[in-house]
Amino acid sequence: MNNRTSMSVPKGASTVRSVSRRLRIAAAVGLGALVAGCAQDAPQNTFDPAGPNAQRIQNLQVPVFIIAGIVGVITLSVIAFVVWRYRDRGQAIPEQTHGKPALEIGLTILPALILIGVAIPTVSTVFALAETDDTECVINVTGQQWWWEVDYPVQDGCGGISAPIVTSGQMVLPVDTPVLVRGTSRDVIHSWWIPRLNGKRDMVPGRVQTNRMQADEPGIYAGQCTEFCGLSHANMRMEVIALEADDFEVWKANQLSDYESPTNELALAGESTFIAQCSRCHQVNGLTDGDGDPIVSRPDLNVYSGAAPNLSYLMTRTTFAGAMFDLLTPECRADVWEAPPDEFGERYLEGVTPECLNRVQLREWLRNSPAEKPMYTDPNELAATNGLPRGMPYLALSEGQIDELVAYLLERK
Amino acid sequence: MAIIERPTDTPALAPSGGAPAVTPTRSYGYLRRPVQTTGWRSWAFTVDHKKIGIMYGVAAMLFFVVGGVEALFIRLQLAGPEGTVLSADAYNQMFTMHATTMVFLFVIPMAAAFANYMIPLQIGARDVAFPRLNALSLWTFVFGGIFLNTSWFLGGAADGGWFMYAPNSAVPFSPSNGVDYWTLGLLITGIASLVGAVNLIVTVLNMRAPGMTMMRVPIFTWMALVTQFLLLFAMPVITVALVLLLFQRNYDATFFEVAEGADPLLWQHLFWIFGHPEVYIIVLPAFGIVSEVLPVFSKKPLFGYPFVVFSGAAIGFVGWGVWAHHMFASGLGPISVAVFSVATMAIAVPTGVKIINWTLTMWGGKLRFTTAMLFATGLIVMFTIGGLSGVTHSVAPSDTQQTDTYYIVAHFHYVIFGGAVLGLFAGIYYWWPKVFGKLLNESWGKANFWTMIIGMNLTFGPMHIVGLQGQPRRMYVWTENRAGDGFFNIGFWNLVATIGSFILAVGVLFFFINVWVSRKNPPAPADPWDARSLEWMAENPPKEYNFERTPTVHALDEMFHRKYEDVGEGDAHDYVKVATAEEIQAVETANRDDHVHLPSPSYWPIVLSFSLPVIAYGIIYSTLLVIVGLAIATVAMFGWALEPPTADDSEFESPEGGDGGEPSKELVASV
Repeated sequence: MNNRTSMSVPKGASTVRSVSRRLRIAAAVGLGALVAGCAQDAPQNTFDPAGPNAQRIQNLQVPVFIIAGIVGVITLSVIAFVVWRYRDRGQAIPEQTHGKPALEIGLTILPALILIGVAIPTVSTVFALAETDDTECVINVTGQQWWWEVDYPVQDGCGGISAPIVTSGQMVLPVDTPVLVRGTSRDVIHSWWIPRLNGKRDMVPGRVQTNRMQADEPGIYAGQCTEFCGLSHANMRMEVIALEADDFEVWKANQLSDYESPTNELALAGESTFIAQCSRCHQVNGLTDGDGDPIVSRPDLNVYSGAAPNLSYLMTRTTFAGAMFDLLTPECRADVWEAPPDEFGERYLEGVTPECLNRVQLREWLRNSPAEKPMYTDPNELAATNGLPRGMPYLALSEGQIDELVAYLLERK
Repeated sequence: MAIIERPTDTPALAPSGGAPAVTPTRSYGYLRRPVQTTGWRSWAFTVDHKKIGIMYGVAAMLFFVVGGVEALFIRLQLAGPEGTVLSADAYNQMFTMHATTMVFLFVIPMAAAFANYMIPLQIGARDVAFPRLNALSLWTFVFGGIFLNTSWFLGGAADGGWFMYAPNSAVPFSPSNGVDYWTLGLLITGIASLVGAVNLIVTVLNMRAPGMTMMRVPIFTWMALVTQFLLLFAMPVITVALVLLLFQRNYDATFFEVAEGADPLLWQHLFWIFGHPEVYIIVLPAFGIVSEVLPVFSKKPLFGYPFVVFSGAAIGFVGWGVWAHHMFASGLGPISVAVFSVATMAIAVPTGVKIINWTLTMWGGKLRFTTAMLFATGLIVMFTIGGLSGVTHSVAPSDTQQTDTYYIVAHFHYVIFGGAVLGLFAGIYYWWPKVFGKLLNESWGKANFWTMIIGMNLTFGPMHIVGLQGQPRRMYVWTENRAGDGFFNIGFWNLVATIGSFILAVGVLFFFINVWVSRKNPPAPADPWDARSLEWMAENPPKEYNFERTPTVHALDEMFHRKYEDVGEGDAHDYVKVATAEEIQAVETANRDDHVHLPSPSYWPIVLSFSLPVIAYGIIYSTLLVIVGLAIATVAMFGWALEPPTADDSEFESPEGGDGGEPSKELVASV
């Protein structure tokens, strides 16, 4: 399988490893068994921290799971003993005792003491994870059905950002930098969750909520919307991309680079098709009409949630359609996902090359997006939203138009 | 029949001629009270708490099957990556209705079935305090449940999850009528719960037999009483939330409309202030049942009865202070999160007390592992696992990793299935001979138990793994890209869970087979389990009037103390059986009460209940229908009020086939 991530054994991980070893010991006995040895597993493994925030949670939850496991083993052993020892073997009717208050009180206080022991570090961790004033970089996320927009406000943080950067599906951040994610939603509640970097935080319309993000190593960290958000909730995924500081500078510069006109005929035709078919929702920065006036997309007039992904640098990302699909072919995807930390930045910054483009999936999407991803786009079903679709509607593009658009989009990087 | 009148010399309690002249004899000058004792009318118009209890149980079991089939669809869809059994839309409806059905249409009504049937018997009463209201509860629940499920055939069921978070529940995001069906259906079943709660609270507080102090009340009745108080206070909260949602969706209100300045978290608070006590509403009756079953099959009293009572009450109180632990990721701010985190840990203490007490009840006992006892023991073990996984996410930072993943699904299924459902099955096996006069087959019972236990652990155990591996809940598909490929990979364990769910379904099927094969069993003995509480002083099944004479209670575990005497000297104990249940019942029969008065059946509860779904359909489809529904309700309420308090005795067939004696002129409270 091509989906293992080589990031799963991070450096600085002696704590992680010893934790997972301790876990294994606990696991042999009881409930903990279910959480052990996760270190090599799924990319959203909750017991595989890759940054200090998740590590803080790990330091709390591992002992708690061990304590719960021990209590469980003791309790279940006592029950097993009682069931075996006092089964009916013809013994006399036992004393009709109604209880022993001293024992009762003792056995009430004992769990209370254990829980006090758990409560104290819990409270201190809650406050530590809510801290917002020690962060060095602010990134905004906005959830909508069914994708994440990520934008970087102008700031001195993040190594300095001189003009807003808008991207989607993937949040790129510098390693070892405490990042403050500020999030909200344009429609229903979504939840931002990158398990290896931190716990989840709901992104609620009308509110701005925060979540700390920090990665120890370059790499790609998988996440998933975890607050049920309607039809395609299952398909609303995202990734955090951690880059070394200099790679991050390259990425930033690229995201602010000028519009490059298409270099070949097909792509040039694609530009016209894009303007005709796509630009009413999708922004491409720097695109101009025949008069040289900038073309400004109006998703607020055309989709119910009021936004659509900015496609100016689409091919610098590796996923599309709410990170549901890969822009890379499986082999190229594996190259990025499994790259060792010191090579990761270089591979990611290559973006999507013509050889690596997952043309099949991109063409399917352009051909009939509602068939690829459940969305509310059928014009007959949009009475409740004033005729506005939720998601990308069917555009009835010809195969020729699709060829042109693929060629045009391939140069958006 | 309304009044069991025996030939007697004792004068009637009410002075003769004391009946008020204004007492009507017919509703609308035409309808007397129904009197049929056989056929469908004897069920449709009954106010007998036992018949109502049975109907509650049958209806709840049917909904259990519906909810179970929905669960199997969910598991089929998730058996492999990119499942195609269901569309995204169908899947969202399926998990919404699975939870809604199991919580509101199976567990609560099944507990209500036990409470209805057993509480009057356990406290030595002849019926509940308000028999007609009892019938109203039943039929309101039945019609509400049917109404809710008709949405499947009328444009699709609700698709917002049982928690129905705003603003995803608003019309633009859920344009079908499903959410309206859900809202109205739960409002209707909420009426059933609320009416039932008032009824049972009054029954327990006012109708206990002489000598039954609160600390001699059987533990099931105690736990059911706490549950009714929880319902009494929780149902109004969800009702408020549902009414707000109803008005938002149907009458352009903007309670959860962010653009109008609303805060979607309002819904979450309202929902969980109901929703968390709801968890205890679900499990406490089952706790009561196993607290009855374990002592009987251990031949020991419940260890620390007062501790179990007070821990139950404590859960009832503290349960109101932990709702926001469902919202640790919602963004409440660190102070709220810390407070609710600690409060949630606090509630683990009284819950732990119960497990300790059950274990110590068995300690030193003489344990007989009948099917009922197996289910009760299974509950202790499964609930311990569910309780401990609960403690792991009372730790709020840890919960921000686990909430909305399958780990939570695993946790609450160990609590609800391992706690509530196993307890309810323990109660079914334990009280089946009491209710139907026949024992269930023990071999099928054991097959039923073991298959269910294996099935549930295979279903819900792997969900711990896939949850900690990062699989969120409520996703209609999972993708191999996020599944991993180690031992704990999401793919394998999802498949195991799906296989487990079908084993679990077979286990439930064994129960129905058991009911079928046991239908011709010989009559059960009067006291098949050597039980301890008052209901076993009545016959199997009990007569309509429950007890031959109202028992006088001298002790907790009254029945045990009537059967056994301690002849040991000093600290030595030697319990000798001094009477069998048959002998005790014979004494009661010889000294039976004259003038047993029972309320007459009534047409009106079922009619009034029927008006509610009519109004609800009207709200969705046509104001005209609302008016029709309101008209039915008005007719029913006036009919109810104008109804004669009892049927005239001359209208009854005498049980002995002859005239039962002079008709009584006494009034019977039958609100």
